[in-house]
Amino acid sequence: MSELRITEHPILSEWVEKEEITFFFDGKPLKAYKGEPIAAALMAYGIRTIRKTLKKGRPRGVYCAIGRCTDCIMTVNGTPNVRTCITPVQEGMKVETQTGRGSWE
Amino acid sequence: MIDEKADIAVIGAGPAGLSAVIEAAKTGAKVVVYDENLKPGGQLFKQTHKFFGSKEHLAGVRGFNIAKLLLEDSSSTNVKIKLDTVVTGMYEPTTLELVSKGKKWKCEAQAIIVATGAIENSLAFPGWTMPGVMGAGAAQTMININRVLPGKRILMVGSGNVGLIVSYQLMQAGAKVVAIIEAANKIGGYGVHSAKVMRAGIPIYLSTTIKEANSDPEVQEATIVKVDQKFRYIEGTEKSLDVDAICIAVGLSPMTELLNMMGIVVIWDNRLGGHIPLHDEDMMTSRPGIYVAGDVSGIEEASSAIEEGRLAGVAAAHKIGFINADKAETSKYQIRKRLDALRSGPFGEIRKAAKRYLIQLYKKMDYQNEAIQVQAAVVSIAGKTIENDVHLRGYPTIEEIKLSGNIPSEERFKKGPVAIIECVQGIPCNPCEKICPFDAIEIGTPITNLPLLDSEKCHGCGLCIPGCPGQAVFVVDFSQEVEYATVKIPWEFLPVPQKGDIVAAVDRKGKAIGEAVVSNVKYIPECDKTRVVELKVPRNIALDVRSMERGVKCER
Repeated sequence: MSELRITEHPILSEWVEKEEITFFFDGKPLKAYKGEPIAAALMAYGIRTIRKTLKKGRPRGVYCAIGRCTDCIMTVNGTPNVRTCITPVQEGMKVETQTGRGSWE
Repeated sequence: MIDEKADIAVIGAGPAGLSAVIEAAKTGAKVVVYDENLKPGGQLFKQTHKFFGSKEHLAGVRGFNIAKLLLEDSSSTNVKIKLDTVVTGMYEPTTLELVSKGKKWKCEAQAIIVATGAIENSLAFPGWTMPGVMGAGAAQTMININRVLPGKRILMVGSGNVGLIVSYQLMQAGAKVVAIIEAANKIGGYGVHSAKVMRAGIPIYLSTTIKEANSDPEVQEATIVKVDQKFRYIEGTEKSLDVDAICIAVGLSPMTELLNMMGIVVIWDNRLGGHIPLHDEDMMTSRPGIYVAGDVSGIEEASSAIEEGRLAGVAAAHKIGFINADKAETSKYQIRKRLDALRSGPFGEIRKAAKRYLIQLYKKMDYQNEAIQVQAAVVSIAGKTIENDVHLRGYPTIEEIKLSGNIPSEERFKKGPVAIIECVQGIPCNPCEKICPFDAIEIGTPITNLPLLDSEKCHGCGLCIPGCPGQAVFVVDFSQEVEYATVKIPWEFLPVPQKGDIVAAVDRKGKAIGEAVVSNVKYIPECDKTRVVELKVPRNIALDVRSMERGVKCER
C-alpha cells in the first residue's frame, strides 16, 4: 500500500493482509482495510486535512485520535459530525470533508 | 433497551477496570463493565515496551501482552463486557444511565467502580490547530493500533515518560523524531527511557518550548525557542526545525466528569495530575458504594492502575457482602504492599506522598493544607547513595556508573566477557536480579535499590541484556584481541543487522564515534523481540559505544 503503512515492525506482530475495501473521499475512490478507523485510512494516503472551520475555512485534522476532541469530524454517508478517528470504514462509504457544522442530507 | 441490574458495575475496561472486574468476579458477584470504545484494554494495547516493577507486577512483559492476560482472566460466566456503550449519567444511590447505538437504558448496581482513566492535556501555540499537530497518545494509537504513520519527521513536545516512550515507538515505526523539547530544566521521565532515545539519535533540548508551527496548509516547520526559569522566551534563541508532525506530550488529566455529576468531593493536586477524587484506603469516594481506580484517581502508571483496580474490586465485593472481612483484608493487604513498592524511588515517592495526603484528607474531610513530609527518596546499593545528573543529561556517565559499583576492574576485564549495568536511578524494578543464572546480580528489598553486579560470579552470558526492561545492560569483552573489544547491545529496531555488516557505532549521546563490525546477532523467542547485537569496536571506545546507527555503512 502506501509508504505510511507500517508493514514492518520490530515488535508488533507480522503484517497480515486484511480485507481491502473501497470507499469514497470527496467523490474519489480510495482503498482501505475493512474496519479500520476512517481517519487512519485517510492518513495512510497522507490526507490529514479532515474538515474546514466555519468562519475562516481553516483546515483541521486528527488531534486526540480517541474520540474525545471532535477535531476529526466529517460527513459520512450524509450524516455530519461523525468522529472519523473511531468510526470503522466500510465498503462503499461516502466520506466528505465538511465545513463548519455540516448539514443533514 | 431493558434496564439491567448488577452487583457491581465498572465504568471503563482499561487495566484498572478489567483488574477490578477480575477480583470482583472471583467472589461470585455479578459484574458488568462498560466501555465507550469498540475494543477493551484502554491504553494498554498501545504499550509495546516492556514494563518495570517486580515479577508480581509482570515486569519485563510488554504492555499489550499484559492486556491480553487481563482480557483472558476477565472472561467468566458472571461477567458482562459491554463495549460501544457510553455512561451518560451516574445517579443516586448507585445507578447508571447508558447509551449504545442510539438506545438508552439504566443499570441499577449495588456498587460502582469508576475507572474512566485520563485525557491528554493540550498546549496552545500559534499553529497548534493545524493538521499534523496531535497528542503523543494520538500518534501512539495511529502507529501501534492502526499501523499508520502520522508523519515522517516529528517534533515531540514534552519529556515525561509518554513523550520519551512514544518518541522511541515512533522511531521503531519508521519515523524520524527530530528532537524532544522540554520546557522545564530537567527531563521529566525515567533515565533509562531518555538514555534509550538519545542512543537512538534523538536529542533532548531542555528549557525549550515551541514558539509556533508554520503550516501551509499542514505542518511544515516548527520554531522552537529557549525559555528562562520563568518560562519566558529568551529573545534570539529561536531555531527552526523541518518537521511534518508535532506531538504534544504535556501531561494527562483525570476524566472525573461522572464523579462531578454526583458532587463527589474532588481536590486539586499537582502531583497527581490535577482534579483528583478524594478516596480512602479502599478506593472509596465520598459517596458510599462509589469507588475509583486507575488514572482517574491520580495519574500514575498501568501497573498501579491494575493494583488499584484489584483493591477497588475486593473492597466493593466485601462491602456488598460477597467476600468475608478476613479474606478481604488479606487481599487488600497484599495489594497495598505491591502498590507501595510501585510508588517508591525518586519518581514514585512523590505520588506516594500525594496519595497518603489524599487519604488523610478524606478521613478528615476538611481542606486545611497539611504539611506532609515527603520521604527523601533513598536510592541505595548496599547502603551507598548515588548522586547522578541523568535527569539533566539524559544518560549516565561512566563516573556515575562507577559510583554505582558496576564498572568491573581491569583484571576482570582481562578474564572474559562481563556485564556492565548502567542503572543509576532508583525506580522499582528487579527482573535483572531474577534472570541471571549465576546469581551475580543483587537488588534485594526495596526493589528500588540499584542493581549491584558481582563481576566474579558474572560469566558474561548476556541474558540480562534482553531481560532489562530499561535496556540498560551491556556486555563487554576485552579479553579476545589486542586492538579490539566487543560490546553486546539490546536492539529493538528494523533493520536487524547481520553478522559481517559494518555499522556506525554510537555513544550514549547517540553520536557516531567510530566504526563497528557486527560480529554476532542473537535472538531467542524468550527475549520477546529484543535482539542482542554484538559489535566489534576498537578497544579504546568499548566503554563508550552503547548502540549503532540503523542501516549498514557497507555490507559484506
